[in-house]
Amino acid sequence: MRQLSLIDIAGGLVVIAILALAPVLISSNYLTGVLTVCVIYGIWAASWDFMSGLTGRENFGHSLFIGTGAYTAGFLSSIWTANPWYSLPLGVVVAVAFSILVGFPTLRLRGPYFALAMLSTSAILQRLCLIFWEYTGGEEGIYGLDPLMKTPLYYYWFALGILAVTVIVLTLLARSHWGLLLRAIRGDEATCQAAGINVTFYKIVSLMISAGFAGLGGALYAHYQLQVSPPLFSVVVSITVIIMVYVGGIGSIYGAAVAAILLTLLTEMLRGFGEYRLWIYTLTLMMILFFLPNGLIAPLWRRMTERLR
Amino acid sequence: MSDLLEVNGVTKRFGGLTAVKNASFTLKKGDFTGILGPNGAGKTTLFNILTGFMPPTAGSIHFNGELVRDLAPYQVVNRGMARTFQLTRPFIGMNLLENVLVACMSPRASQDKDKEARARHLLAQVGLGGRDKEPVETLPYGDLRRLEIARALATRPDLLLLDEPFAGLGSSEIEQLAQLIRRLHREENLTILLIEHKLREFMALVSRVIAMNFGEIIAVGPPDEIVKNEKVIEAYIGKTEDSYASA
Amino acid sequence: MLQILIYGAVSSAIYAMLAVGFTLIFGVARILNLAHGSFYALGAYSAYVLTSVLNVPLLIAAPLAVLIVAGFGVLMERYLVRPLRASQLAVLMITLAVSLAVEQALFITFGSEYRNVPSFVADKLTIGGVDIGGQRLLALVMGVLVLLLLWLFIQRTRLGAAILAVSQDPEAAQYMGIPTNRIFSIVMAISAGTAALAGILVSPFLTVQPTMGLLPMVKAFAIVIVGGLGSIPGSIIASLILGYSETIVAYLISTSWTELVSLVAVVVTLMIRPAGIRAAF
Repeated sequence: MRQLSLIDIAGGLVVIAILALAPVLISSNYLTGVLTVCVIYGIWAASWDFMSGLTGRENFGHSLFIGTGAYTAGFLSSIWTANPWYSLPLGVVVAVAFSILVGFPTLRLRGPYFALAMLSTSAILQRLCLIFWEYTGGEEGIYGLDPLMKTPLYYYWFALGILAVTVIVLTLLARSHWGLLLRAIRGDEATCQAAGINVTFYKIVSLMISAGFAGLGGALYAHYQLQVSPPLFSVVVSITVIIMVYVGGIGSIYGAAVAAILLTLLTEMLRGFGEYRLWIYTLTLMMILFFLPNGLIAPLWRRMTERLR
Repeated sequence: MSDLLEVNGVTKRFGGLTAVKNASFTLKKGDFTGILGPNGAGKTTLFNILTGFMPPTAGSIHFNGELVRDLAPYQVVNRGMARTFQLTRPFIGMNLLENVLVACMSPRASQDKDKEARARHLLAQVGLGGRDKEPVETLPYGDLRRLEIARALATRPDLLLLDEPFAGLGSSEIEQLAQLIRRLHREENLTILLIEHKLREFMALVSRVIAMNFGEIIAVGPPDEIVKNEKVIEAYIGKTEDSYASA
Repeated sequence: MLQILIYGAVSSAIYAMLAVGFTLIFGVARILNLAHGSFYALGAYSAYVLTSVLNVPLLIAAPLAVLIVAGFGVLMERYLVRPLRASQLAVLMITLAVSLAVEQALFITFGSEYRNVPSFVADKLTIGGVDIGGQRLLALVMGVLVLLLLWLFIQRTRLGAAILAVSQDPEAAQYMGIPTNRIFSIVMAISAGTAALAGILVSPFLTVQPTMGLLPMVKAFAIVIVGGLGSIPGSIIASLILGYSETIVAYLISTSWTELVSLVAVVVTLMIRPAGIRAAF
């Protein structure tokens, strides 16, 4: 199998160290907040990449899992006033339940049914949040979640830790025999069948894993913002995550996480552009599609470290 | 001894076209059988039906006494019936070892603890030993066929179905591949069903031939009888005779 | 009852206009066009600009707007989608990027407030004691007319036959000398044009604002899944099913619940008949 080389591990440690120390060196609540969002986007992007990047089944509604994870946290912590620590595991459970609901009927089929069903379901759920505003708080969403940690800095380190665990677990899985199967499914489903592999099973389970981490990220995000609102389900969130994975280099996991962090920082810097921000984002996406079809981060890292391996 | 494979009245219609018509035959354990027929005779369609890639319009298929006609392809493989494709379909972007490893993860191969060792062993068995790290993209046709066979063997089949393994190969490659198949039949105790549309390859290899034309089985028997069968001759060279007659 | 009958027919016609174009470009060119809702929104906004800003008479503005959007669709297919056709993901990404770009462009240019487009027919008609806005009836009539014309075009003309041939087997069609690329452009123009027309027809009685394309597009997805991807008759029947069940649900329960209809329809279809009702033909 493709083993993790020392240089990969060293690179990962350096990135984590920089991220962990940045808010200590530059003490600013603003930076800590931005970095927390960066790290959570990293979890979302890595989790998207695990299922869709490896199997080639594009999930166009990752926000479904993000939103359900976040709303689970919202209901639990704010409305039912449960211990906020229940949010994370239950956010995972609910997101996984939704992944079975959508994945089971659609992943059996050939063609773009999965992509369409994911996109539609997330969009419809966003509408439902608005329609059943008596329960969900409508546009305003749900307020007053309890924080998980005493200070934003601790919470940031906690989120960073979860990102690190996410990336490590997903990378190990992706480089295991299991990951090999997922890449084989991306290559040719008929050949996989001929090799005796239950393709649908592997796709559904990897979607469940992907959804679990996305839901975890959603619940984390909810307890960072201390509020949840319908845009968490929006197509824009899904597409933002996909762009991040694309920039990172599809199927590499770590590339997706790094790209998510860099692009979220970039988005913050572009805040001055106001309403043109999404435009710049979209144009970036188009440029990458045309000129860097393999993405940027992972290919760059591989080239940089080629001689050290 | 009971039949390993029992095909009964299998029919496949595509709209108005009948690709396979009421096909019935049996295979015993250890048989080495070939399906012969000109292009378009329905051989590959029959293969696709047997291996679960296509549901038949009518008829039944029993394998090891179990009805397999409604199973998914991977389930058929996991009952012990593996196949190769006429157009080889390796996993692009993976090396030879990884290509075989995928099949080593199928349930029937689960007894193999060290999957990589098993995959390496299989590669050696089909004559691709020591070439683990080679990418599949640059592999010549003959080697791709061997890779396909290694992948099929990984699932520990009782019955191996080979879809035109010799198509597009040169005569020395054909001879080497035929030797490999013969050896597998002998040493691995495999039952083999092989599709071919050229008579010549058959003669030396198989012990029994099922001849098809226009979706129907027209004759079954040992090769030396089949070549004398009038229906087979007609199917193969009938047109030529007609054109001589009209000339 | 009559009210349900007519309102259901109106929304079915609008849905059908959207879904047919969406399914057509998928069936012919295998393009899953996530920017399809943008055509709908662009149609409405083009009509708005032509009538309210440039003071073009409505009867000229409407066809002009359809042409503009059709042209936009053709250019998008030619310069953005076609170079990336080899990768399904890239096609999905680029069309989604276009839809985001259009939405943002509309937002930046016009802001998020609602815009008004004048009605073609201002009168109300009373049929069997039910008041129906003339504009809704016009949408219904135009929808039926467009679908009928499209059907005749595909069934009765050489070009239509070529389109069918490409949708059945693009490779074979190319061997037979059918210029597939030109067929893609034509189908894209038809697809974008019908979506734009739907947008123009509803703009007087629905809200015109930048995000107006998203929900109809999601509905079009649902219809196409229910009807079977690539099938025109399937998508028309599915439009009728969805249009009527939404109207009935709105009438019996509340308009809030209509959004659930498409979700349920999609889930049920995928569970029991994944290929859609097309398989029944």
